[in-house]
Amino acid sequence: MTFHPDTLCPFCGLGCGDIGIDRGEAGISARPTGCPQADRLFHRSAPVPTDGRMGGTPLSIDDAIAKAAQLLGASRAPLIAGLAADVNGVLAALTLAERIGATVDHERSDALFRNLAVLRRFGWSVTTLAELRNRCDLVLVAGPDPAAAFPRLWERWVAPEPAFVPGGARSIIFLGGDPLPETVQCLGGRIETSGLSGEAGQDLTTLVGRLRTALAGRAAQNEPMTALAARLRAARYAVVAWAAGLFDGPQPDMIVEGLVRLVRSVDGTTRCAGLPLAGADNLIGANQACGWRTGFPLRTGFEGGAPLHDPERFAWQTRLRDADVTLWISAFRPALPSFTTGGSVIMLAPPEMTVMPEPALFIPVGTPGIDHAGDVFRTDGVVALHADALIDRGLASVADVIGRILAALDRPTADKEAAGC
Amino acid sequence: MLTKLTGGRLFDPANGRHGEVADLWLHDDRIVADPGPGATPEAVHDVTGRVVMAGAIDIHSHIAGGKVNLARLLMGEEHELHRFAGHACGSGIATPSTHTTGARYIEMGFTAAFEPAMLGSDARHAHLEMSDIPYIDTGGYLVLGNDDFLLDLIATNAGQAAVNDYVAWMLTATQSLAVKVVNPGGINAFKFNARTLDLDEAGPHYGVTPRTVLTTLARAVNELGLPHPLHVHGCNLGVPGNIATTLDTIQAASGLPMHMTHIQFHSYDTAGDRKFSSGAAALAEAINRTPTLSVDIGQVMFGQTVTASADTMAQRHTAPLAHPRKWLAMDIECDAGCGVVPFRYRDNSYVNALQWAIGLELFLLLDDPWRVFLTTDHPNGAPFTFYPELIRLLMDRDYRLAKLAEIHPDAPAHTTLGSLTREYSLTEIAIMTRAAPARILGLADRGHLAPGASADVTVYSDLPDRRAMFERPDFVFKGGRLVVRDGKLVAMAQGCTHVVRPGFDDLIERRIARHFDERLGLPIKHFRIRDTEIRHGAGPQLHPCQRRELP
Repeated sequence: MTFHPDTLCPFCGLGCGDIGIDRGEAGISARPTGCPQADRLFHRSAPVPTDGRMGGTPLSIDDAIAKAAQLLGASRAPLIAGLAADVNGVLAALTLAERIGATVDHERSDALFRNLAVLRRFGWSVTTLAELRNRCDLVLVAGPDPAAAFPRLWERWVAPEPAFVPGGARSIIFLGGDPLPETVQCLGGRIETSGLSGEAGQDLTTLVGRLRTALAGRAAQNEPMTALAARLRAARYAVVAWAAGLFDGPQPDMIVEGLVRLVRSVDGTTRCAGLPLAGADNLIGANQACGWRTGFPLRTGFEGGAPLHDPERFAWQTRLRDADVTLWISAFRPALPSFTTGGSVIMLAPPEMTVMPEPALFIPVGTPGIDHAGDVFRTDGVVALHADALIDRGLASVADVIGRILAALDRPTADKEAAGC
Repeated sequence: MLTKLTGGRLFDPANGRHGEVADLWLHDDRIVADPGPGATPEAVHDVTGRVVMAGAIDIHSHIAGGKVNLARLLMGEEHELHRFAGHACGSGIATPSTHTTGARYIEMGFTAAFEPAMLGSDARHAHLEMSDIPYIDTGGYLVLGNDDFLLDLIATNAGQAAVNDYVAWMLTATQSLAVKVVNPGGINAFKFNARTLDLDEAGPHYGVTPRTVLTTLARAVNELGLPHPLHVHGCNLGVPGNIATTLDTIQAASGLPMHMTHIQFHSYDTAGDRKFSSGAAALAEAINRTPTLSVDIGQVMFGQTVTASADTMAQRHTAPLAHPRKWLAMDIECDAGCGVVPFRYRDNSYVNALQWAIGLELFLLLDDPWRVFLTTDHPNGAPFTFYPELIRLLMDRDYRLAKLAEIHPDAPAHTTLGSLTREYSLTEIAIMTRAAPARILGLADRGHLAPGASADVTVYSDLPDRRAMFERPDFVFKGGRLVVRDGKLVAMAQGCTHVVRPGFDDLIERRIARHFDERLGLPIKHFRIRDTEIRHGAGPQLHPCQRRELP
């Protein structure tokens, strides 16, 4: 048994780097972290099947790659989705998408686009996790508790004493959402709530609107939001945190815009910054890579050679209906996506994944930070982290598999530049 | 592969050649001496009468990393308008995608560009992005001077030796080439809600002045023996009257080598009814008499661009002028920050017209081309694709005067530009864009054409229209491979990443590790970028430091 201390977790997007991993003959497991995702997803068995499957029938990886190239090369409307891979895997997927004219999207991009829609039309003022931890004296949590998606958020970034807050006092106010029991346990009596869910007229959109009205000085004195507005204005460094992926109801991007405008009005006189949380399975890294490679966010296609972005039409759930071949990439977790497609599905996923009905092709791939090294971005969009390999189970990375598919597609040699750039 | 370029006029100022006719030999990725009469080159290019220079080097261009990628997101309209087909070509002009960045540079004969504002916390991202830029060499300047760890070292009187060790550790961990300071202490002060911070004003919490931060870092860079002096983006960027701060900053360096960047944005006086005028003459005079100083200009050109900077304090002042009306700001990781503000420079705006004139004035008043560099602070003053137009403005007085007549009519009265007769020569252009950048960055095998140099070579037709000439070289070789012919890309090439690695006493690591654990919530080992992470395992190109003893 070998122990790997301070292992980096690539899963939820918080980038925790303190995981203890035991590795033995039977595989790997994490010492309890308090994070259900890390505990579950770091539990991997060895050995595992390393062959591919075609319609459920085993076939060699070489044959599977040749078949994948054949399907993708002949496709007239390909989709590359899931896109849950390390940065190199995403870049390889983008190269393939450009080669075959596919559109690309990440399985979890809904949360991201609720935020991006606002960033792209308005901008924003935001912060990162270390600033939250050290500078923030007032956390305003808008909507559902982000710990549902980011289990150790409060433990690692809010429970520690802030370095730059005199006296170390920090308030945490939940607006329109209940803290989870684990959050209450972690933060204890510091939690306050406002506009609890379930009461009439207390949906998040309305609450944010009322708070903005109070900040503008137009609310009645007995309006509870007046006091909250005063606290935001009096804070030294307030952070407004939200996990847009957890918002329900129509037009979640309008909630985000309300929050972004709220932050900006407070930040005019004291310091206040937003913390838009989204990012499991390297969602942020996929978007970053797509951004630098194409100039556009995810939900970009390559019809006609040049990149074309369309956040509605190229959302993977929409595109799936028209795609004749879908390359589904899910390297982080053996969790089956819920989708039905009229076309063929080629799946790159961990071998532990049970797929019913069987896709046209299944090619097992390794998980970044477990089977091979890989880069992932943290949810706040700045810090990229390099997760090392822990175990060799004979599984190729997404980048390797796609590289071989590209080679099989008889791609122009790498030292030739296509004209017209 | 052996390649021969015959009969070209070599402009190679580093080796004292100013247009002499000579053959040039390339063997694989190096320039070599004439191998003698028995040699049989596989390729011969007759470049008789044409101008041959080393590949150009841009020492300050925001091409990769967090703020650049955020700027791409914010500039969606630009990307919709400028989409390029072809292998991984992408989109954009002011915020081009990675492949487009490399393509546009190499098409102009540039073979290297350096990202001048790489935050430690964002360094891995910046390197991932730079690895995806083809054709050109890259490298990053590490931003320090607003990071809480350094300010704490200074405030607690940890001593210069500890600062030097920290700087060296950070350079190594982030695979950087140089150190940059941006609004020293000001970005940090903004996090404590200080909206301005002057050179001699004590910042909040630490009580440290920008002057102290600046001189401490300048000493560190000098004592560590880094090739590139401290790269300084000073206080009060863009503020009318900031010429006084800039002159004080020169004085603060007190003889230590210093590179002042995008000085156009730091050369504003307050004469006239509008309280905005040129301070270029005074600044140029100070720079001319201070041989330890080098500068780049940050020239403004007219049109739509975007300003992207780590200087959140300055960007907050610019934000109300955003065009289109949207902007973003970010506080980052007890490290620094970033602000992105789209901007359109208009020739019929008095202020923008004067900014344009001030930049040109500085180019023409600075008398040593070895100490002044051609930059637009891409994309802040203009996209780098404006360089050929800028070169024409410097080389062609008639053209310059014609353009001066087109701008806001009140602007010329507040600059000396109209009276300046100087025209840059080809030799001066070669110094400013090749020999001097290589020298100021310590890249011994770049920026010249002597045997042993990297075979990065650009060949131009000697056209009277200098914009046309520099826009479209006849040949560009990168690492010996012909990649551009008649302005068109014909082959792919990859550059390398340049870094320095000054030594340090590793006792400092214990203190840094504690900072990572207690403040950043990340074990230190996850911060360090390994050689194998650079350019898909190719690793960086190391440049030596000459460590100097503490006095």
